[in-house]
Amino acid sequence: MSFINNNWWLVPLIITIFSGILCPAMGTVLITHKRLLQVNLISHCVLPGLALALALGIHPSIGGVISGLLGSVIAESLTNRKSENYEAIMNTILAGMLGFGVLIIPLLGIRIDLEAVLFGDLLTANFGDLLRTIIAFLVFITLMTFGYEKVVYVGLDPEGASASGINVSLLNLALSFTTALVIVSSMSAVGVILVIALLSTPTLLGLNKAHSLRIAMMRSSFFGLCISLLGFILSIVFNLSPGPAISVICVASLLIPKLSQIIKS
Amino acid sequence: MATLVAENLTYSYTKKSKPALNKVSVEIKPGTLTALVGPNGAGKSTLLKILQGQNAPDKGEIKIDGENLNRSRSLIALMPQRSSMNWKFPITVEKLVSLGQIKYSKSKSNTPFQIKALLANPNAWINKCCELEATMQRVGIANLANRRLDSLSGGQQQRALLAKTLMSPAKIFLLDEPCAALDPPAKEDFLKIVRQLADVGLSLVVSSHDWGESLNKYDQVIVLDKTVLAVGSPDSIKDKLNDINISALNENNSLN
Repeated sequence: MSFINNNWWLVPLIITIFSGILCPAMGTVLITHKRLLQVNLISHCVLPGLALALALGIHPSIGGVISGLLGSVIAESLTNRKSENYEAIMNTILAGMLGFGVLIIPLLGIRIDLEAVLFGDLLTANFGDLLRTIIAFLVFITLMTFGYEKVVYVGLDPEGASASGINVSLLNLALSFTTALVIVSSMSAVGVILVIALLSTPTLLGLNKAHSLRIAMMRSSFFGLCISLLGFILSIVFNLSPGPAISVICVASLLIPKLSQIIKS
Repeated sequence: MATLVAENLTYSYTKKSKPALNKVSVEIKPGTLTALVGPNGAGKSTLLKILQGQNAPDKGEIKIDGENLNRSRSLIALMPQRSSMNWKFPITVEKLVSLGQIKYSKSKSNTPFQIKALLANPNAWINKCCELEATMQRVGIANLANRRLDSLSGGQQQRALLAKTLMSPAKIFLLDEPCAALDPPAKEDFLKIVRQLADVGLSLVVSSHDWGESLNKYDQVIVLDKTVLAVGSPDSIKDKLNDINISALNENNSLN
């Protein structure tokens, strides 16, 4: 314990490693299922749950996961992905839930470091944050261990999957729950808003020419781990905020290969 | 061999909406290749989903060899429309085809009937149809096994999807607009394969917008526009077409 206390960077580093692996793996599933907009929705819906949980004396993560999941269920019950109003409804609920969260914080008389929730505060992360990340990691591994085939089938052919007896709605609910858990667990690392970068950018790099979802997830996790560690190191060396630093590196990892191609040509 | 009989099927998507299908009766005999033709919105996909058991009809009944559909649902497989597939998904052709074997149904009641039906069938190829390689060879995609799905042409993708559908132990295969978006050679190629499958004893129903010459490749043609307007051989349908009142029939009609 004293070793950890003397090495303040150890817990943030372990969180960085777990988040760097977990977020891109989850992002790969969500992008291949065309559910990335739902990540945005859930990440914005987390705030009212955090606030209410704090007011009720419950652990804020539990409230965050519940309200994220609730926002997702409300959106899915109001629309479906084939509807032309899908994006409009999703964005309306996203904005509404975030607004609701901001409104109730002063009404409940609680204090939340909004900046830390939205953009992360990795260097002050504690054991609780680490535990949350490990729980999310284990839930994701469990989902993939027991439901990999189903996740593949539903992502590829939802109608066929339904016809073969898969409960598609239940699987989507499980995905939403895991997504909410991953977002809340990444709160300390990159914050609930900037997590979208860690969910999507490594996936874009990892999906390229991958012959299976499993390979794509592993590649994405590798890229995610590299990006997260680089962001962590740069934050310490240059005294930067880790969440925004990781997000900027995500953008750079997309732009640098394109720029080098342009320069070569 | 399995005969599918559907009688007086009526179906509405909501209680207040007009019926998408109205008193539709069809019979699919073993080893036949049936074309289900009709304009957009005629209810072709709806009918196929009902015949496969995905949607329950408001009225009417479906039987396979006299057994209720619920007891013998595994004998029917549906190949979905192209548009319902996520073709960008990272998966190889071989893995896609193998997904056709997966059945998660909790109902065990089908199993003895299925095995009995399979054992009773003397046709060697049908017994082998659950084998991945044989199925891929049958539809001509064995050499594409390790290719990623999105690297294939439209015709190859449709053949891969057909192979996946054929991996189920079904006897009746419902193909929802499999030739949509295919160029004429790919379409010709696809229809040749389904003809061969019918010749070895499988029953196939192929929905299509096509009123043209390709109808001659089928054993039976069902003309649908909410209700069955005509049923018969391609030749007999040609004679009836003049009397059928379908607005869309004038479009792309090269039968006469």
